[in-house]
Amino acid sequence: MKLDSLIDELTEDLAPVRPRRLWMDSVIVALIAAIELALLFAVGFARLDMHRMMTQPTMSWRLASFSLIAVVSGWLAIRSFDPTYSVRGSLRWLTLIVAICVVSGLFLNGAPAGIVSILDRLDWKSGVQCASKIVALSVPPLVGLALLGRRGAPTDMRRTPLLVGVSAAAWGAFAFVFSCPFNDPLYIVVWYGTGCGLVTLVSRYMLPRFARW
Amino acid sequence: MADDHWRVLMMAAQTGDATAYRRLLTEASSWLKSYYSRRLPPSMVDDAAQEVLLSVHTKRHTYDPTKPFGPWLAAIARYKWIDRLRAMRDSATEELPEDLPARDHAEAVQSAHVLEALLSRLKPAQANAIRLVKIEGLSIKEASERLDQTIALVKVNIHRGLRELSTLAQEEGHEA
Repeated sequence: MKLDSLIDELTEDLAPVRPRRLWMDSVIVALIAAIELALLFAVGFARLDMHRMMTQPTMSWRLASFSLIAVVSGWLAIRSFDPTYSVRGSLRWLTLIVAICVVSGLFLNGAPAGIVSILDRLDWKSGVQCASKIVALSVPPLVGLALLGRRGAPTDMRRTPLLVGVSAAAWGAFAFVFSCPFNDPLYIVVWYGTGCGLVTLVSRYMLPRFARW
Repeated sequence: MADDHWRVLMMAAQTGDATAYRRLLTEASSWLKSYYSRRLPPSMVDDAAQEVLLSVHTKRHTYDPTKPFGPWLAAIARYKWIDRLRAMRDSATEELPEDLPARDHAEAVQSAHVLEALLSRLKPAQANAIRLVKIEGLSIKEASERLDQTIALVKVNIHRGLRELSTLAQEEGHEA
């Protein structure tokens, strides 16, 4: 097909469109996340001793860290659906934020050292369950962001899926904090990190197939 | 790129103005041909430009009318270019039999390689003008449209570029 005839066809096919708005995409993702959290609370997902738990430093650390990572990475992911947006610098800042959150959590750690103690603290059976629940809770925001990405025009198919994955995973972890019976920062870094890492990997390798345009 | 002019046309296109849209696509296609002629083999230029025009059409809602249109178009063109390079890299190649009779193109390939090396040492405006007019066979007028240069400037660039090429070729000859 020659360019002229293609231009004719595209012109004939022209219909008015509403330009994509960042704030609208952000509201959609925030709504998905809020509805998920509301449903979890409605079905009794949260711990019964939540009011007592809220006074624990590890609880505040988890909630602050995961909400910060989810919001920052989610915002960057939505911005990266614009073809002109460069993700590279944003990803560096996000890496720094994640590192600060992890390190600050490890400073809360006052538990005894030693390999046996560490293995006990990690409690891998519970850890695998925690990681898998985080993966499950990450699905709604992951699907929402993926659909928005498909509707948008991301041009960095390596970094944008990473941002989407980190955001969805951080939200899944944030939601899971309300039901998790563990407070040990080492356990949280390892098993929450495993769950979040899995979600990020899935997003990194699956999203480009879905969102490529 | 005439950014503000294109921005206004795209804004109108987003509201359904077909005349503005046709004009925008026509002007964008010239820019795209020029963009890809510097990055892809001549046989692929039209296909790549068509692919970008289709993407512009399907993704026109992602254009933010408060921002210039040029970078948006360039980002899509670059994305499609990288996609095309990846496809070229990944495309299966058949192994040819050892005894396949074929004319020896070594000399022509070598000449093309040497010419390209010499052209890369010229100013981009001169090299592009020579490539379009002397190698691809475009008229001066077509080249001036593609390069967004006046006809006089294209002529000057070809003249100066050829003179420079001649000097470079002589120097290469002395060094060899």
